[in-house]
Amino acid sequence: MAEASRISKFLYTFIVTFIIWLFLTASLDPQELTIGAIFSAIVSALTYDIFTTRGLSNLHPRRIAYAIIYVPYFLWAMIKANLDVAYRVLHPKRPINPGIVECRTVLKNEVGKLALANSITLTPGTITLDVDGDKYFIHWIDVKDSSVEGASENITRPFEKFLKVIFE
Amino acid sequence: MLKRVLAIITILIIGYWLAEGLANVPFGQDKMLVGQYYLNHVKEQTGAVNAVTAVVVNYRGFDTLGEVTVLFIASTGVAALLWRRKRERTAKTPGSVVLTTGSKLLFPFIVLFGMYIFIHGHLTPGGGFPGGATIATAFLLMYLAFIVYEIPHKGFETTEGLAGMSYVLVGLIGLAIGGYFLFDWIWQTWHWGTSNLGRLFSGGFIPVIYTIIGIKVGTELSGIIDNMLKEEVKE
Repeated sequence: MAEASRISKFLYTFIVTFIIWLFLTASLDPQELTIGAIFSAIVSALTYDIFTTRGLSNLHPRRIAYAIIYVPYFLWAMIKANLDVAYRVLHPKRPINPGIVECRTVLKNEVGKLALANSITLTPGTITLDVDGDKYFIHWIDVKDSSVEGASENITRPFEKFLKVIFE
Repeated sequence: MLKRVLAIITILIIGYWLAEGLANVPFGQDKMLVGQYYLNHVKEQTGAVNAVTAVVVNYRGFDTLGEVTVLFIASTGVAALLWRRKRERTAKTPGSVVLTTGSKLLFPFIVLFGMYIFIHGHLTPGGGFPGGATIATAFLLMYLAFIVYEIPHKGFETTEGLAGMSYVLVGLIGLAIGGYFLFDWIWQTWHWGTSNLGRLFSGGFIPVIYTIIGIKVGTELSGIIDNMLKEEVKE
């Protein structure tokens, strides 16, 4: 992936920080907007280089649409997984079969890898221990398939189909 | 053993003594003398809605200047104590991709939030010191996530000095206009923002001073972190 131009990176950082400012102040008072624009511009000027590598192309409508759909999808996975862990805790026999499995990911982008690692950790039953290149080492509470392909199919694949569009 | 018993007995005696003294101060009663004056006059005298920052910056501005000086001395002291000609980061283990990417993504947001805290000092809890400390945590995060990260020293030290001088300068302008040091000229002479109470462009010189303090504290604490994390390199 080629790096975006500096202007594009700056503008993208500016837009994101300004949106965060709007959420922080929760007001559309012109005074707040002025200061917010100035502060966002300062922060973006200082940090755009580390914040993003792809700049405005992050704001492609298809990516945003997928990101919006991903939120409820992810929340649903989280609720299901939490209920599953509650069941395992409350069950008298505690049906657990823990182990560390290796998964492969198709994601190349670092932010995508971060999002995938966090999605895996936040859905209980799986915790990302380490990420090394395209290898994920995951602690799984109920190992169903310890092979690399099988584990990827069960753990990373459901998220990857979204994250691939959002971040690649 | 004897030492410990003696220490415990001494602490118990001191604690009893303090409790005895405090027992005569009733809880929840109106005992305000100066405090009532602050609460009654804070809005028309300083323009701040947050009475604490009005007291800290306006009524008792000298103390804040003293605190800023204390911080400056602390950072200079750390730098003087740890001074060596050749010092480098000696951390050896790089963070995982999750840690480094996460820190990179969080960094602008933490800095922005720090700025949000210090610019709203006259409206919401917070002010220059918490805001500056928040900004310093952003740099601490970068230091902890990356083994080679370093703050741009020249820029930081210059900014720190300029911010400290601006604070004194704002006070000196007050001396020239109003007759005493740290006189709030923006509010009391210019009446700037008087119609605007409770909105962002009000509060006299509190937002100005808190911006200066926020920048100063942020750069200063980052400098202290930088000094503490470096070790001497044997040639």
